[in-house]
Amino acid sequence: MNGVLSISTVLNFGSAGLIVLGLYIVFTQKNLIKMVIGIDLAETGVNVLLVSTGYIKGNTAPIFSKTGLQVSSMVDPVPQALVLTSIVIGFGVSALALAMIIKLYEKTGTLDTSKIRGLKW
Amino acid sequence: MVNPILLIIVPLGTAFLISLTASFLKNSTKYLALLAMIANVWVSIKLLPAVMQHPINVVIAGVKPPLGINLFVGPLGAVFSILISAAGLLILLYSFKYIEGDSQHKYYTLFLLLITGSHGMILTGDVFNLFVFFEILAISSYILVGYEGKRNGLEAAVKYLILGSIGSILILVAVALIYQEAGTLNMADLADKFGMIDPSKRLMILVFFITGMGVEAAVFPLNSWLPDAHSSAPSSISAMLSGFVIEVALIIIVKFVYSIFAMTEILGFLSLVAVITLLVGEFAAYKQSNIKRVLAYSSIGQIGLILFAMSLNSTDGLNAGLMQIINHTASKSILFLVAGFLIVRTGSYQISDYRGIAKKMPVSAFFFVVGVLSLLGVPPFFGFFSKLSVVMAALHTGSVFNTVMVFLVLLGTIIESIYFLRIIQIMYNREGDVGSVKEAPFLPLLAIAAFTVVILAGFLVLPQITGYTGSVASEIVRKMQMAQVF
Repeated sequence: MNGVLSISTVLNFGSAGLIVLGLYIVFTQKNLIKMVIGIDLAETGVNVLLVSTGYIKGNTAPIFSKTGLQVSSMVDPVPQALVLTSIVIGFGVSALALAMIIKLYEKTGTLDTSKIRGLKW
Repeated sequence: MVNPILLIIVPLGTAFLISLTASFLKNSTKYLALLAMIANVWVSIKLLPAVMQHPINVVIAGVKPPLGINLFVGPLGAVFSILISAAGLLILLYSFKYIEGDSQHKYYTLFLLLITGSHGMILTGDVFNLFVFFEILAISSYILVGYEGKRNGLEAAVKYLILGSIGSILILVAVALIYQEAGTLNMADLADKFGMIDPSKRLMILVFFITGMGVEAAVFPLNSWLPDAHSSAPSSISAMLSGFVIEVALIIIVKFVYSIFAMTEILGFLSLVAVITLLVGEFAAYKQSNIKRVLAYSSIGQIGLILFAMSLNSTDGLNAGLMQIINHTASKSILFLVAGFLIVRTGSYQISDYRGIAKKMPVSAFFFVVGVLSLLGVPPFFGFFSKLSVVMAALHTGSVFNTVMVFLVLLGTIIESIYFLRIIQIMYNREGDVGSVKEAPFLPLLAIAAFTVVILAGFLVLPQITGYTGSVASEIVRKMQMAQVF
């Protein structure tokens, strides 16, 4: 590694940073759209974390694309399957959140959580 | 032998069938939902005796665990399946008259998806699969909370969605860490390998998992969404969310702490959190004037009580907690379902507007009283036995901490009785007049009556019920093992 950061470390810190940043946005912002963006950022962070768990240095994608490829020279395919599922779920949740926020905007005329106040936030 | 995978496939398939056939079946799609729920009840009842002999393990798609995904049905899975499908069937019958409008097929589709998610979470043997079913459950409940499209419902749904998404992100972090550290996603395999992980990493996984699941289980301080969501949802959905959805999330936490992570040293902290949850819920319920908010806060209190019983680190405590879950499912469903028609008939959520309503809606008022008395734990209702066993289990541990906690729990019960008896007093007020209010229709009353039978006749079959809950408790206490499962 000759003192340079390894890719796994970068990915781990990067994903932790994205998650913290995303959650920070959700907890501090008053605008509903920004809160959804925060959730998306945090989800991306988790996806990076998932992918990085399967990473093996120097190995290739787990597809038998040419002859002579050994299983031992491939990265772990399970996290990649997980991350695909997780991306799809994340997409669905964001789409649903935005749709609901549009409906809520039609009723209240604002996106500011401190102004909606029908219920306690 | 019936295959437990039917419990997941039948509601999921019917949900798709309903949305496919909605254009020509219109509102008759509800009968498809009814058939699916009857099938579910039948399968889960058939499953129970078989599972009591030997746990059933179903390998999906022919790939053997730990690589493949499996369903694992022990006593826990069977008992909860019965609870979910029976409560689901009765609430579905209630919905037939309660849900109105032209696009009912959306309601029934989401209803069945909620059932799918709950069954899946209980039955799955795979950690990532648990996350997927959690999302099915969560997404369908977000939409159902805002189903009526009113301002409050939408607002509660958005709030629930934002907090719920944070919860699911934390669960996914826990899943990623589990795979990174243990290299497996199978629950039984994980239980074998979890002890080998570095202790600090173990704690990290546990904290992420409990915090994430705790959002759905409405454990203090993660429960700020619950009073809004449960009070703004249609009453049938409130009954489902309070009746078994939060309990499913709670039992998953308990199952992981005991039988998969085997980290019982965290239980002291959990029981402290539980008692705080209970007191916060009961004090907040005391101050409410909106009937559904009272019931929603009371659910938080009950979740606290159940978690307290389950974190005593004894089989008795788990047993008591399971009985309390059965009691809460039945009695809180009654209360929410009755409240649904009180609101429809009077057009008001305020308790003060129900003065003297018992004269006009005598049957509903009677069911409400039964639900309240069982929730409070008055003999001879089922709630008395469950609450008694919680107190006994706590005192049996003999620790000073638990004895103090029991006094706080009883304090919570006193507050609970004050606000519930106040509602009953208003409903049975002699002078009050609510105008020309009709009794609720027959079918919803029939569904509510079935829940009442569980409460009233519960003590007659008490030995059988404790027999089943006892074997669930001993399943949870035992650490899961790969060799024992396969």
